[in-house]
Amino acid sequence: MESTQRSPVTAAITLAALVFLFLPLAVLVLFSFHSTGGLSFPFQGFSLRWYREVFGSNEFRSAVLTSLWVALPASGATLVLGTLAAYGLSRSSSRLRGPLALLFFLPITLPGLFLGVSLVVFFSRIDFTLSLKTVVIAHLVYVFPYFLLIARAALDRLDPALEEAAADLGASPVRVFRRVTLPQIWPLLVGATCLAFALSFDEFIITFFVIGSDSTLPLLIWSRLRRTIDPSLNVISTLLLALSLALWIVAFVLTLRSERRRARSLTEAV
Amino acid sequence: MTESAEHPLRLEGVTHRFGRVTALDRVSLGIEDGELVTLLGPSGCGKTTLLRIIAGFMRPTEGRVVLQGRDVTRVPPHKRPVNMVFQRSTLFPHLDVFENVAFGLRIAGIPRDEMRSRVEEALALVRLEGYGPRRSHELSGGQMQRVSLARALVNRPKVLLLDEPLSALDLKIRLEMEAELRRVHRETGATFVYVTHDQREALALSDRIVVLDQGRVEQAGTPDEIYRAPASPFAARFVGNANVIPVEVVRAEDGRATVSIAGREISVPCAETTSAGAAWLVVRPEVMRLAAGSGEAMRGVVRDLAFRGAGYSYHVEVSGLSEPVKAEVPAGVGAPFGVGSEVAVTWDLNASGLLPREG
Repeated sequence: MESTQRSPVTAAITLAALVFLFLPLAVLVLFSFHSTGGLSFPFQGFSLRWYREVFGSNEFRSAVLTSLWVALPASGATLVLGTLAAYGLSRSSSRLRGPLALLFFLPITLPGLFLGVSLVVFFSRIDFTLSLKTVVIAHLVYVFPYFLLIARAALDRLDPALEEAAADLGASPVRVFRRVTLPQIWPLLVGATCLAFALSFDEFIITFFVIGSDSTLPLLIWSRLRRTIDPSLNVISTLLLALSLALWIVAFVLTLRSERRRARSLTEAV
Repeated sequence: MTESAEHPLRLEGVTHRFGRVTALDRVSLGIEDGELVTLLGPSGCGKTTLLRIIAGFMRPTEGRVVLQGRDVTRVPPHKRPVNMVFQRSTLFPHLDVFENVAFGLRIAGIPRDEMRSRVEEALALVRLEGYGPRRSHELSGGQMQRVSLARALVNRPKVLLLDEPLSALDLKIRLEMEAELRRVHRETGATFVYVTHDQREALALSDRIVVLDQGRVEQAGTPDEIYRAPASPFAARFVGNANVIPVEVVRAEDGRATVSIAGREISVPCAETTSAGAAWLVVRPEVMRLAAGSGEAMRGVVRDLAFRGAGYSYHVEVSGLSEPVKAEVPAGVGAPFGVGSEVAVTWDLNASGLLPREG
């Protein structure tokens, strides 16, 4: 595991890769604070001018609301359905579990383009008018397997003997879930919901196909890109980045916490 | 009161099959009120399956589980008036000790004051007063199992089930916990069904032992009965590690049999029903005596010895016997025999038993 010799070449390549990955992000964030309309160096001073403009714009505010309108129900529905699916998977017979899990997780491998096109075709076939509702449904399809992946891992690591102990002490299956299963897995479920929310909030390709006349935040950026290019785009992108980052951090902290608690109870039990 | 109500727990022809494997084969058993019964057997004998069937985690393929006269075979675990202490700690990690013990009472909707006093009482019973606010990861293995015991007993179960509760503990803690279990059993007067593979533990704890092998009851009786008069070669070997030697009965009359062993004939006590033919001779290792020198006795060569503190365990190869003879000899009488020594093997013939042998 431990490398005793560190080659300077490896370090240089790593550094270059990191710069390549993060420099564009840094430049994007930097220019969101630009005092002029230019998007290239030289940098001519800091200002919150573009932030004021973006927050003052009706277009931006309605796009944020639209994105929330989509991401909240999509991640909420994912939380409920995904938890149920994960619970069902972990309790199903071992013969069914493999094929079922495969079916549930398969959508992860589908390209967004494919998912978008097939959903549009499907919705038009059943005469379902494209609207934000179709976006919610499409996002549910998109984020569900990611959520399930985490929820299932959380449930698989639970000691089934704890649930048996609770049943033995008189708890009905519903109470076992509420008083023993849920209290142990909720941090991971909340974390997974944050990820689902972030995925939905940022999603572009599928949304592009199945949305009607509305505009989510990523779509607003895209349409603005076609008109003018000014630092307000950087501002919106930076805000999106900040939100995603915050959600990922929440998810990460929650996962880490439950992981630590688990490790502690395991080491003490042995 | 009906006949069946006399037993807090009765098993009637309980059979369980996993596919083609028969884990339990027509097990019938009545457990008396306040009794501590041990289900003893090697791993895979079906003892844990039987316990899980009693708890309701599994449904037997055939047969009935009757709790206080009520058939509960198809009743789910949360509706059965039994509670279980598991092999590993199953304390809820998100709850403290108090809440763990209170779990069953909260589910049952016991009023707050009564709940509080019953939890305190249960913790006092297992000598963990004041441990209420602790978390399970702050407890030692022995303390965890005490909390599990309190968590089960606080519900005043008709029958307490214990699934090898001490097997994960260190020897020293295990011996302490055995004494604790005996005390708790005395103080509560509850009915205990205890599963173990440890014959020493079973002998030390039980009012009655049920020896299981391959899903069948081999023998049921008090520890003394099982130890002194095993009913089968399996019971003899499993409880007390007895020598079980194939012999031929030459003739049997008036409660004594003449048997041929390793080319000589000896006279041992036997049952009235014993007749000439194949039989098993059962001799406990601690009855065996080893001596130096020659004589009339059976002779053998020491193949292995182990110091046990109070004495030595020997394996002696005797010509004419397929398996080495096991002997437990107290220390302090002269120097031990080394590996390779020639010894004379003798024992008090009246302390040996005969069991029928097929073919």
